[in-house]
Amino acid sequence: MKKIDISTILASAIHESKNQVGTLLYQLQSLKDAMGSKDSNQKKIIQIEESLKKLNDEWVEYLYLYRLASDGYDLHVDTFLLDEFLDDQVFALQPSAIAKSLELEYSCDTNLTGIFDERLMTAVVSTAVYNALRFAKSKILISAKQENNFLIIAIEDDGEGFKQADTDEQPEEFLEGNTGLGLYFAELSATAHVVNDVRGFIKKESSQNLGGASLTVCLPQPADEEF
Amino acid sequence: MAQQDFSKKKALLIEDMAEARIMQRKMLTDFGFTSIDIAMKAETAIELLRNKSFDVILSDYNLGNGKDGQQLLEEVRHSKLIPNTATYLMVTAETSIEMVMGAIEYQPDGYITKPFSQAVLQRRLSKLLETKERLYKVNVALDANNFEEAIIAAKQVMEKYPSLIGKCERIIGESLLEIKEYKKALSLFKKTLKSRKMPWALFGKAKSYFLMGELDKAEQNFRQLMLDNRFFVSAYDWLAKIQVIQGKCEEAQATLIEAIGRSPKNILRQMELGNISLSLNDSTTAEMSFRRAVFLAKYSCYNTADVYLKHLESLARISDSGPLLPRQKDNFNSTLKKVHESFFDDQNNKAKAYSYEIDIYLADNDISTAKQIFEAWLSEVKSGSAIAPTQQQSSVYAKSFGS
Repeated sequence: MKKIDISTILASAIHESKNQVGTLLYQLQSLKDAMGSKDSNQKKIIQIEESLKKLNDEWVEYLYLYRLASDGYDLHVDTFLLDEFLDDQVFALQPSAIAKSLELEYSCDTNLTGIFDERLMTAVVSTAVYNALRFAKSKILISAKQENNFLIIAIEDDGEGFKQADTDEQPEEFLEGNTGLGLYFAELSATAHVVNDVRGFIKKESSQNLGGASLTVCLPQPADEEF
Repeated sequence: MAQQDFSKKKALLIEDMAEARIMQRKMLTDFGFTSIDIAMKAETAIELLRNKSFDVILSDYNLGNGKDGQQLLEEVRHSKLIPNTATYLMVTAETSIEMVMGAIEYQPDGYITKPFSQAVLQRRLSKLLETKERLYKVNVALDANNFEEAIIAAKQVMEKYPSLIGKCERIIGESLLEIKEYKKALSLFKKTLKSRKMPWALFGKAKSYFLMGELDKAEQNFRQLMLDNRFFVSAYDWLAKIQVIQGKCEEAQATLIEAIGRSPKNILRQMELGNISLSLNDSTTAEMSFRRAVFLAKYSCYNTADVYLKHLESLARISDSGPLLPRQKDNFNSTLKKVHESFFDDQNNKAKAYSYEIDIYLADNDISTAKQIFEAWLSEVKSGSAIAPTQQQSSVYAKSFGS
């Protein structure tokens, strides 16, 4: 028998499973609609729904990760208004934050625009926020700014922050009890963005605003005079 | 973001899976749509789009065995069955999104990935409709083929809404091509490429070179596009056009065969391959392409006489080197029947159909039937409903009939 590439098989298996999660989510939606908001099981259902959504988002991340790592991903960049982009992210992730009684907000200049791959950055931001949801005490902040021809998107929380060792050479610790895939994914996504031979990158820091951890994703932008 | 009033908008929902269809219809109803038409496949959707106008089209990428959502989009946008002012939202899975994003030439106004909640769909649609409102003047001008006006309007829009720069630059560049300002278009696309490696800008650059007659540069850019975007099959069509102009018809044929291997359901591509193959006297390949085109034409915007007549012609050319096989004869008769049913009120069509039919019977050495057809043709000529045979045809027939 011809030897088959196991990562390709895993990727398509994930895809199959992801579709099933989608079907479950639809069914849950009908159940929720049929049940009415007063029902005592409503809270439980919402929890299940949030877990399934998270599962779905994680599998999306793994699929992109697979493509990025196997060079099978075509980057599709476009110009976005960051106010809209971050508003979308908060809108999608807000229910998960509410379910954990955490605040999730964003801040950026209302006129700030950036050039990036929307789907990748959506997956990166949601991965980072899901991670922050596990460590934050009360608050998570997503912010964006432009600095020296880089668009900088930061996800910060008010948790314990990175352990000292993490900020050096052991990214595995970043996702406690996890494999560090999230960070690796963020890094691959950032470095996939290239402008005039300048590559994107990520930084793990302490949050200046909230005191916890801060993950910043830096994406190269064209110089102003070229624009 | 302004809250949209959906109650006056007409929606078309295209989805083959019953469960998703019911769910999406409920979502649309819940946030205010009162007019929702449903199609289960692309072919039904085309019928609906022909007879009715819609503001919002929500189409799944995967539509079962027929055309997929992207092919539907390409066809209805290319044939201008839907105006630029209408919004096309593609529903995709993670695997199909690459095909949609990679299509470059005809992209939907937006996409949404499954699974999505009602709130997400409502939000996505509101935003898309808001963008359409901002681009309204531009799109009205484009629909009227008033490209000068579209350029002026697009410049105003991008000044007011910086996030629409990409869309506006693209519209300006493509409008410049339409009004034959190739140099201006080229420099605009180049400027965009300098700061952003946008596939549409590279496509625009390649088209500019093509239209300026700089074929080598055009080819180089189309080849780059093919490398960058595995799913952008149109680049092959353009490459084939270049090869035809350069007189390299065999290469053009090979290019199109490769493109069809990647994306077999595009009827215009099948027609192009058929035409090139006919010009190369490769009637077998021509027949195969036109047969596929006939199959694809039925529910397509390109359901024209040409598709069917070309198929007949390719079979007639096969018969030049001997009688048709029974299977080929069946194909001929079934396509001829379609010509009789739908396209027989045209003088030219009649003349062509008669001549191909005569060729087939002559190849079979069935002189008497060929003669009957010729007489039927002549009587139609007398009554003015068919074009007369050419002198060359008449003399060939006279010789064959032996009279």
